[in-house]
Amino acid sequence: MSPLILAARGLEYDYPGAIAALRGLDLTVPRGRKLALLGANGCGKTTLLLHLNGTLKPSRGQVLLDGQAADYGRRALGAWRNRVGLVLQEPDDQLFSATVYQDVSFGPLNQGLPEAMVRARVEASLETLRITALAQRPTHALSFGQKKRVAIAGVLAMQPEVLILDEPTAGLDPRGVAHLLAALEQLRLAGTTLVFSTHDVDLAYGWADEVAILGQGLVLCQGEALATLADPERLHAAHLKTPTLLALAVAMGVADGPGGPPRTQAALVARLRGRSGDGEEIGEVVAAASP
Amino acid sequence: MYAIDRHAWTNRWYRHHPGERLLLADGGLLLALTLPPLTAGPLLCALMAGATVAGARVPARAFLGVMALPAGFLLTSAPFLALSLDLSDGVRLAYSPAGAAAALTVTLRSLGALSCLAFLTLTTPVAELVPWLRRVGVPAAVVEIALLIYRLIFIFMERALAGQQAQAARQGYSTRRRGLRSLGLLVATLFQRALERARRLEVGLAARGYVGELRVLTPERRLSPRRLAGIGGLLLAVALGSLLLDRALA
Repeated sequence: MSPLILAARGLEYDYPGAIAALRGLDLTVPRGRKLALLGANGCGKTTLLLHLNGTLKPSRGQVLLDGQAADYGRRALGAWRNRVGLVLQEPDDQLFSATVYQDVSFGPLNQGLPEAMVRARVEASLETLRITALAQRPTHALSFGQKKRVAIAGVLAMQPEVLILDEPTAGLDPRGVAHLLAALEQLRLAGTTLVFSTHDVDLAYGWADEVAILGQGLVLCQGEALATLADPERLHAAHLKTPTLLALAVAMGVADGPGGPPRTQAALVARLRGRSGDGEEIGEVVAAASP
Repeated sequence: MYAIDRHAWTNRWYRHHPGERLLLADGGLLLALTLPPLTAGPLLCALMAGATVAGARVPARAFLGVMALPAGFLLTSAPFLALSLDLSDGVRLAYSPAGAAAALTVTLRSLGALSCLAFLTLTTPVAELVPWLRRVGVPAAVVEIALLIYRLIFIFMERALAGQQAQAARQGYSTRRRGLRSLGLLVATLFQRALERARRLEVGLAARGYVGELRVLTPERRLSPRRLAGIGGLLLAVALGSLLLDRALA
């Protein structure tokens, strides 16, 4: 078993009639971690994700699955997609059934599981995403956030080793984001490797273990989230900004401390409170401003 | 259409097995076609209205709304059945008693049958009936296409509406001429989007192991013997009532 569940070596890909989308990209996906692919709009994030489950075949370069060069034969692709689940950004692109229950049952049925097991999986993944109450609702009557969770449940029910999510939080309200992250955290604790694309540096900073910054069809750099996101110049080069919490912590002189810079709003507040003198005051202001 | 679909998904009987409602509607249809229409028609209308409104708790207005359009066609065309055209001596239209009886028969029979369909439409979503088609031998491909169309209709209605609102917000419909042009542009865009969406849907389905068959499971719902017996009893009551009344009238 390779420590890298997925890897890309020198990926190149051109959309027909368009400029190159990927231009020799390298990426590693370590098993059991949360990897964020950060990049501005149009930098090739989605194209890369479509390579990671074999939807697109690189013009040059290769994708490695568990250390083995990927095989694009029909049967191998099927096995690949059982191990690597992909959730598209737009849930309507993925939900095709009339009801939530039907849609979630689609993937596990394709895996050839017996009916009783499919039902158990459907119920479990609806439970994980806290949408059991929606099981019999028609897909077209759901809110965007609900559709998004149903789309994720549909891939989750296949119990992939790697779950790839394209902009999972785009279009969700803060509560929706919190629920989604809680559900994903539960998956990670169960051992699922998570890869998600986003242009939200704050999300990557607060939640990812590792970050790969994409720009001009390349991975500009990849590494531990804190270290990678602490370099403003690098971020700037990829048309991204410094994470808000990190910038605040640095400006207020509380970036250094046990466990590195604070990664959540609560941690920042706690650290400001812990400071003597004006810290109390600032801490209260911050606490009053947060819900 | 939105309203019908909403009632179908939210009525009180929605969580019951759809076979029960199918039995009531199809049984009713059979009665409408076989029993003397003079008595069976009104009885069936009453039964179906009762089942829809009192049973499934769909508002009476929705039931009348679904009945109104076909009933309107029926009532405007029926009077002509009572007239007979005589061509032996020039063109003459005349009232014919036999024609009038036929008109009444046709109207009542059709109304009875319509009420059964209205009941089914308002209490059972299309998507619940389609899988049943597969069980009675309709090819899987046809059933899958029907289900996809059902799903996509709503996506495109949403898109079309949003597109039209966006055009209207930019004065796209300020004159009739401009409105036509905007509508044309919108339709052209929707076609293009439909194609793109189909491609993305394919990617999404392939990621979940799609290899040419859209198989899904529905939550398990049991046929309730009690409700089936009740439906049978109601249908039997309509049949007996109609026959007895018919004899009494004759």
